[in-house]
Amino acid sequence: MTLFSKLLEKKWIFIAFAVGGFLLSMPTPEGLSPRGMRTLALLVVVFIFFVTEPIPLPGVALFIAISEVLLGLAKPSVVAQSFMSDSVFFIMGSLMIATALVKQNLDKRIALAIVGITGPRADRIILGLVVVSGLLASFIGEHTVAAMMMPVGVALIKYTHDDWRKIRNLSVAILLSIAYGAMIAGAGTPSGGARNAIMLAYWQEMFDLRISYFEWITFAYPMLLVSAPIISFVLYRTFKPEVTDLSPAVAALKEKVAKSGKMSQKEWLTIIIFLFTVLMWMTISDTIGLGITALIGALLFLTMGIVKWEDLNNNVNWGTILIYGGAISLGIMMKRTGVAEWLSHSFLTWLEPTGIRSGLPLLAVMSFITILMAMVMSSGATVGILGPITLNIASLSGTSVIAAGFITVISSSFCFLTAVASPACNIIYGSGYLKKSDFLKAGWKLIILSFIVIQLISVGYWRLLGH
Amino acid sequence: MKVLMCTDGEGYAEDAIRFGGRLAKAMNADVSILHVRPPISPRNRVLLTTARKKLGEWNLEIPGVDSLIRAKEILTEIGLTKTAPLKEEKVSRAFRVDVHGATELHLIGLRGEMVRLRLREGHPVNEILEEADFGDYDLVIIGSRGHKGYSTHFVGSTALRVSDLAACSVLIAKNIKAENTFLLCTDGSRLAERAEIIGAEIAQKMGAKMTILSVAEGEENKEEAMQLTRRADMILSQLGVNAEQKTRVGRPSEEIIDEAKDHDIVVMGASGSSAVKKFFLGSTPLKVIEYGECPVLVVREKRGKISLQGTN
Repeated sequence: MTLFSKLLEKKWIFIAFAVGGFLLSMPTPEGLSPRGMRTLALLVVVFIFFVTEPIPLPGVALFIAISEVLLGLAKPSVVAQSFMSDSVFFIMGSLMIATALVKQNLDKRIALAIVGITGPRADRIILGLVVVSGLLASFIGEHTVAAMMMPVGVALIKYTHDDWRKIRNLSVAILLSIAYGAMIAGAGTPSGGARNAIMLAYWQEMFDLRISYFEWITFAYPMLLVSAPIISFVLYRTFKPEVTDLSPAVAALKEKVAKSGKMSQKEWLTIIIFLFTVLMWMTISDTIGLGITALIGALLFLTMGIVKWEDLNNNVNWGTILIYGGAISLGIMMKRTGVAEWLSHSFLTWLEPTGIRSGLPLLAVMSFITILMAMVMSSGATVGILGPITLNIASLSGTSVIAAGFITVISSSFCFLTAVASPACNIIYGSGYLKKSDFLKAGWKLIILSFIVIQLISVGYWRLLGH
Repeated sequence: MKVLMCTDGEGYAEDAIRFGGRLAKAMNADVSILHVRPPISPRNRVLLTTARKKLGEWNLEIPGVDSLIRAKEILTEIGLTKTAPLKEEKVSRAFRVDVHGATELHLIGLRGEMVRLRLREGHPVNEILEEADFGDYDLVIIGSRGHKGYSTHFVGSTALRVSDLAACSVLIAKNIKAENTFLLCTDGSRLAERAEIIGAEIAQKMGAKMTILSVAEGEENKEEAMQLTRRADMILSQLGVNAEQKTRVGRPSEEIIDEAKDHDIVVMGASGSSAVKKFFLGSTPLKVIEYGECPVLVVREKRGKISLQGTN
């Protein structure tokens, strides 16, 4: 009985292998090499694993490496190389820097700064939370910001009313503004999320395109700037907070922060090193690489004693690095074995009857598919699997590869609907103040609006930039 | 005796705790209060732990802790615990979270009873069962909303599933108000006998009146049912408890639910049916819990030890 239920729990492993085995036994379709067919089978199995998670995700990364060698797709040393690149260094360094930042008590300062600017009105505070979470997340990643800002949100709720159940709508609006603000900004700069690094790796590996940190910002930041007011407006209108004047909470918060004294030397040093790293990213990272720049920042934090190695060891999610290494490796194999091109070609042929061949309608379709995929699996995995295909579709159809890449990355962050789809929502949900259904209430509106906004940006703004 | 009470912070759970507190006081039992938080994905556990540590730095608790502190206040109102109201600082220290998100706070009761506040994370049913097993409890008290939603028909409410799957006795405190009259249901089985002894003991300690009920499925079985009530009465009188005897004819679950309207708590032995039979036919205790509007104490015998014996 127990053995049976355990096997049932792992059913997706068997289903995935059955599907993979079936694909391997099928005759190779026209235009695809036998090696390509094996890559396609691996891709399907990995896709099922990413969606159903019968094994922990870092385990899937190990599975990718093992299968690539066993299926004869590449030599062991080539597989190992495809796992580690400057992009993976970049993910690793950014996670370390984020850990060092979280360790400090900067959340209290940030809270004070927000209420200082917005004043006690609830709608302004919500806008302030969206904007500040967004600004921070665009540099240090959505999950870090969610962890840093969650206590700020909870403090505002608690200081407003002792029993949070009496101010449920306000609680939901405040906490979701942090999560959604951080999520939408994940694509703001390359260091905002690991999926951005994946896209950079694909551009470079597949099309030899190099996008600098600064170029990325000019492309992606408008999305954040336009979305922030929309998110705060939708949240405010959807949840209609019971209390609109948070003066007592703001006063209590100010008093609380005043108690913790002035900013320490260590906190100042943290900010200086962080700004220095961002400055390096914007200036010299074109020559020395984003990854190496991130490592310099991380090393500075370690050297100055701001963060101990034990902290990094315990608080950096090393599994994430492995997952992204695996995703990039699989993407590179898809390109090398011709699977990406074959899939893109099939997709375009399939799309032909609808009359969508290139340009903006094609980008809209890509955006739509990305949003759907990001709902069932993590945004990093979505970009990892979908990236090679969308880029190839763009290149085959004569659409801008850059625009296709950005639309994939940005659309992958529109997972507003569930508590599990994105790390930021997951962490905010972990505060215990939200119900799963709260995410649905405002989420569907935001998905539609964000979809429209990104299409408008691609029609107008990116056109102006020449893509 | 060790009692585990579960709370989710709602009003009906508070009634259950109020009753559990009175029971613990009467039985001189050790008490744990458990709140189960919804699970989070292990992927973000590291950062969530960081965020929770930060909450500690702000001197804030997460809602689960709110429910536990409320439960603790109820126990103090009843007079089970004598600890002074927890001061802000003390709470945040006591509830400092460890890596696994499980937290605990100890209090000592007036007569030396242990009160523990436990916070777990995961699926409520699994976590309650695990805690009950891990802490070697004799009785689990769990509140129930008291009306049937459509979801109970498909997945079963938390209370229903705990009562079905727990290894120890379970009290479903649905609409619990008082404990003046106990209705003891017997079907002559070994577990029913167990229920008689335990029910008598609790009734005696809590100063409640006792009624013995046996249900005959047809007129021809009526004599047999009456014999069962007489036998139960003998056991009870040996324990020094006087009880009224009643016999009814009909379907057991329906008759018990009907009779329970005049009583405060129903005591019955757990069903010995196999899992397969239960799946197709349902068991009498489960039906009473699901369709009745009364609190039900389902008595089980824990393996390897005599359960629910008072410590003095």
